Amino acid sequence: MATIEDKSIFSSYIKKEGLFDEVFDKNGEVKEVYQKLLDLYGTRTIDDYVDLNNKAKSSFFNQGITFQVYGDKQSQEKIFPFDLFPRIISTDEWETIEQGAIQRNIALNHFLWDVYHDKKIVKDKIVPIELLSSSPNYLHQMMGVDPPNKIYNHISGTDIIKHSDGDYYVLEDNIRCPSGVSYVICNRTALKRALFGVFNHYKTHSVTNYAENLLHLLETAKPPGVDMPVTVVITPGMFNSAYYEHSYLAKAMGVELVEGRDLFVENDFVYMKTTQGPVRVDVVYRRIDDLFLDPMEFSPDSALGVPGIFAAYRKGNVTIANAPGTGVADDKAIYTYMPDIIKYYLGEEPILKNVHTYHCSRPKELQYVLDNIKDLVVKPVDEAGGYGISIGNRLTKDEIERVKSEIKANPRKYVAQPIMSLSVHPTYIDQKESFEQRHVDLRTFTVLGKDEQFVLKGGLTRVALKEGNLIVNSSQGGGSKDTWVLKQ
Amino acid sequence: MLYEYEIDYDTRNSYEKGLNEAFWQFLVIPEENDTQELTYWHFENDLGERNSVSQNGLGFKTVQVRSKKELDHIKFNAHFKLTKKEINPFDFELPLDINEERKLVDSLDFRVDHEPYLRKTKFTQLLEEHKTIYTFDPKKSIFENLTELNHWAYGHLYFKTGVTDVNTSLDEIIENRHGVCQDFTHLFCAIAKHHGVPTRYVSGYLHQGHGFFGDSQMHAWAESFVPNVGWIGFDPTNNVLANHNHIKVCHGKDYTDCAPLKGVVYTLGKNETEYSVFVKASQQQ
Repeated sequence: MATIEDKSIFSSYIKKEGLFDEVFDKNGEVKEVYQKLLDLYGTRTIDDYVDLNNKAKSSFFNQGITFQVYGDKQSQEKIFPFDLFPRIISTDEWETIEQGAIQRNIALNHFLWDVYHDKKIVKDKIVPIELLSSSPNYLHQMMGVDPPNKIYNHISGTDIIKHSDGDYYVLEDNIRCPSGVSYVICNRTALKRALFGVFNHYKTHSVTNYAENLLHLLETAKPPGVDMPVTVVITPGMFNSAYYEHSYLAKAMGVELVEGRDLFVENDFVYMKTTQGPVRVDVVYRRIDDLFLDPMEFSPDSALGVPGIFAAYRKGNVTIANAPGTGVADDKAIYTYMPDIIKYYLGEEPILKNVHTYHCSRPKELQYVLDNIKDLVVKPVDEAGGYGISIGNRLTKDEIERVKSEIKANPRKYVAQPIMSLSVHPTYIDQKESFEQRHVDLRTFTVLGKDEQFVLKGGLTRVALKEGNLIVNSSQGGGSKDTWVLKQ
Repeated sequence: MLYEYEIDYDTRNSYEKGLNEAFWQFLVIPEENDTQELTYWHFENDLGERNSVSQNGLGFKTVQVRSKKELDHIKFNAHFKLTKKEINPFDFELPLDINEERKLVDSLDFRVDHEPYLRKTKFTQLLEEHKTIYTFDPKKSIFENLTELNHWAYGHLYFKTGVTDVNTSLDEIIENRHGVCQDFTHLFCAIAKHHGVPTRYVSGYLHQGHGFFGDSQMHAWAESFVPNVGWIGFDPTNNVLANHNHIKVCHGKDYTDCAPLKGVVYTLGKNETEYSVFVKASQQQ
């Protein structure tokens, strides 16, 4: 008797014990929000899926949706690996995420105002002064400066995970130049193209309204007296890893994409060079870090910035988003005080949890970290993009010793957290032509405007493509998934 | 008594390969404060470009010049007239209780309010082995300690031009024991900050009628915050308190915040900078 080989798409999917699977519950049953999707995908074989996936991949490459990895010998453009099986978030869960992200980012904005004005939170001994005085991103040039609408972190990227206990935790607050939103939109476009039929069965919030909301909220911070603001996106240039995103956002907002040398400052006003002569610029969405913004004020050898732009900003003649000096709150050491920061300014309990963090700068906690390094993730406080992270239970003996001596040499530079078990999601693995469990997180995007906030209903679900890996950053070999937030 | 001064700041920057776009910022305008008043100022550059007055990040006036012509040099001249009041540096009452004073300086509120000028920078950070090079006497007031530090720094370094430059580190200066006003000032700032006294780097002009060191260039000295008194200027290069001969332009955490000229030029070749300063006491009233 011939057996029919099971070729359905989840035929070889293995559900490991102890992992929180986003699609299947503890008993292996499909969760309600995914049921319809599995019914639809279930009528297909894995071979159909492979075909579909190849088509989507070539579409990404043709559109130039790529990124670069720093530190590679030959820096090469890669496509951001994208998975056609979406992640779905229910209305209720999203409510928590959205409220939590707004709460957090408003609290961060209060914190920034405070540390550049009265510094009450430090005088009240909630946050230690050393955190500010040791931060190169604490800009004295911003002391007493009132940014338009009192907003510093116009755009924030809050990284959230679901732990094996089923609760959402914030892993990081990215408020310098968080990137990734262009992938959210491209993922949606690609998925709609590949699987348009599926969208008829779900009521999903749109993500393509991000750019118009961003432009609208940025323009609420236009300089006084300006009626129709001219907004630009400033990029470090085409060699930056997120250049695709910079150009995408400029195009989607309908504004110019510029580099530092395309702008100039005269009499404390910022102008853009155009073929029709200089055009005054009112709002600058900058994707350049603070220290490169203006060689007159910050790093003097920066060729990326615009000489004189900070003086124009201080005078109120141009709005820079995010505000200079915002980076001081984008620090893994500040992160650990977030529950206190939220309570201090808002008098509320944090809606989203924080991962417990040990500060190596505190002698007792340093000892704990050194003794328990196997069960901890050690992170440098000032690196972005997942660089420099050590996961205790993945280290060899030699590596452990090396990490320990690095921590001891510079304790302020490191924090440690318990190893969080990120939830897993069925993910298509190219090499194996099958679905496997992979760890995922979620980067959400919040925009603060004058008396209004916008959280992109969706966000970037990042996938750690290597089996068992917990680091999801694209620079560390991560991929992404389209993320659906369901309407009621 | 009022002193009247005329100041000339002249600079010429030349660029070997030439350039076609540049931005310069001069931090050379005397500050207006309780003791000095600017009565006349005039700027000139030989490129025919506009001299725009702006402000740096710490609120001091700057002159900015932008050019997009092809050029191989810029000559810039600033001319100022100002009046300066007679200052008696000792004209204040010192707080009586030395312990109270110390307690205040060590308090959290004080450290938070003065964080910018307690922060160690590349040029004002003492190496571990240099931290004991000069210690404060706990039985003396902060002002007395600072005065003695001023005297000590004056004696510890020998004034010598051409052996240090803007990139010389503090530990080299401490080891080699010579330098110019900028090095004396960084040393003073580093030790005062190390002892918890907010201290800032001051850039300005020195009227050299009295045999002071200063070398017809811009001068540097320090200002320290003494509780109940305020900011007091110490000139460790000359072992004096800042007086009516010290004409302040700006202050900052260290030289980096106070460089008289910053520029962004798009060129490949070498460039050369020369400048001179002339301070003349025109009249005494």
